[in-house]
Amino acid sequence: MLRKNTYNELLKIATKIRSYIGIGALTLLILIVLFAMKADGKSYVGFVTASFEQTLSFNGKILNGNLIAFIILQMLIVHVPLLIALVTGDLISGEEATGTVRMLATKPISRTGIVLSKWFAATIYTLIMTLWLGFLSLFVAKWMFGTGDLIVLNSEGLLVLPESELAWRFGLSLMIAFLALWTVATLSMAFSAFAKNSVGPIVSTMSVIILFTIIGTLDVSVFDSIKPFMFTTHMAAWRSVFEDPFPTSTIVESVVVLMLHILVLLGITLYRFNKKDITS
Amino acid sequence: MALIQVLSLQKHFGAFQAVKDVSFHVNQGDVFGFLGPNGAGKSTTIRCLLSLITPSGGDIRFFGKSLRENRSEVLSRVGCIIEKPDFYKYLSAQRNLEIFARISGQQIPSKKIQEMLDFVGLTGREKDKVAGFSHGMKQRLGIAQTLLHNPDIVILDEPTTGLDPQGIIEVRNLILRLRDEQNKTVLLSSHQLSEIEIIANRMVIINQGRTVVEGEVQGLLAKQSLNLEITVEDPLKMEAVFSEKFPELTFRLLYPNTYHVELHTDQRKELIQHLVEGGSGVKAVIPKRSLEDFFIKMTEK
Repeated sequence: MLRKNTYNELLKIATKIRSYIGIGALTLLILIVLFAMKADGKSYVGFVTASFEQTLSFNGKILNGNLIAFIILQMLIVHVPLLIALVTGDLISGEEATGTVRMLATKPISRTGIVLSKWFAATIYTLIMTLWLGFLSLFVAKWMFGTGDLIVLNSEGLLVLPESELAWRFGLSLMIAFLALWTVATLSMAFSAFAKNSVGPIVSTMSVIILFTIIGTLDVSVFDSIKPFMFTTHMAAWRSVFEDPFPTSTIVESVVVLMLHILVLLGITLYRFNKKDITS
Repeated sequence: MALIQVLSLQKHFGAFQAVKDVSFHVNQGDVFGFLGPNGAGKSTTIRCLLSLITPSGGDIRFFGKSLRENRSEVLSRVGCIIEKPDFYKYLSAQRNLEIFARISGQQIPSKKIQEMLDFVGLTGREKDKVAGFSHGMKQRLGIAQTLLHNPDIVILDEPTTGLDPQGIIEVRNLILRLRDEQNKTVLLSSHQLSEIEIIANRMVIINQGRTVVEGEVQGLLAKQSLNLEITVEDPLKMEAVFSEKFPELTFRLLYPNTYHVELHTDQRKELIQHLVEGGSGVKAVIPKRSLEDFFIKMTEK
């Protein structure tokens, strides 16, 4: 029953226009970045490397597909959660708004089964969005700009990562990015279980992300104790993959925190939906 | 054999007690009327029956088993429409039925889906998106969805609400076909006694969250006065018949040539016979029963 309803949920996602808004917007944004880099990428890179030119000599092709992919990931990882929440925030509340939740809840599938099948479908949608982000940013950028070593500018200076190491680093960063987006998807589903239309869950999800991000960037000691437990702190963990030496413990900690968030949020969704009186 | 047993059902939402004490039973083969005015607790009771709402007290048993402990098994043998059937508007009628078929707990072939669409008269519209369907068409699609898994019990909550007269007739005929052709046990909720009188053999009336009366429809209705609306060609001759043959009856003019007549017993047959023989030119005789009147009579006891 769970497998069949997951198929139903995927079918519903696949036939809704809003599901393609995210993919369309993502594609358009990446194409705009690629076009901008093609048109004026050298001056963009020159601006970044200018401060190092007196002490360092750059040889080879700095503006390559790997750098473009890294820039795209950095730019879009903030916006993709909104595109994910647009679909996942509607999964339960949308059924409530249209009244179809009554039809679903009177079938011999348990309420837990209904939530889990929606969550599996949300997971698959999030995975598809992440893979699409990875495909466009990595493969299309490489096709347009060629390959080469990756120059990463971080707080400690300039780091050059050899091309041979980039495949697994990008792969791992996309996996962590997926985990972060999966957390957002589960959060919006949890809000969705409390709402009667999809606007509330989408706005609430984005509000939480913005609020937590602001708290995370505030350099005030009073928030120091809660920052490690906020999922937004760990949403940027994908970037740690491009550090040297490789920060294993930081990444493992982020993965554990994000996984715990997913489990707790899913638990809240299941509890709420199971206890809910459907009166619509 | 009682297929549905509702025993001292209670439900409160915070301080508000929507259902205080509702009990009734539905026998196999019944078309069971579930009656009550708006706000009586009908929809809450029906939602409890379908596990959409968790009761605060009492028990619900289907096929002799507790709903609480056998939810999936029970629901796989029940089909329902709650008020209005809501479908995925962006999907076709057929796709909607396929979605509900997959979670019905049974293997339902596509041939069965087509059969059900034929049964409710939606052949040729199966590929159309539900967004373009009228309320009546959605109601018929709802009945098709209800029957997909060949349930033993069909629960219909106010299935004619919001329908135009043509739609009401279509849905009513479909319910009669459920009884006659599919041999289903039907629980039909309504606030219109006339509707229940046409379709049901047994009924329960609830008011303010409590059971008022339960029993055979004809037996219960025989206890109340029957009102008629009679339209004739010659009002003078009709009044003459009343004065001579039925002096005990009270009647009043509703509109030109149409009278409201209150009978104390079911005298319809002899009344019509005398009116015809008296040359009144009977054009229409419409039975009228008021649920409110019936309530008053039942609650007075």
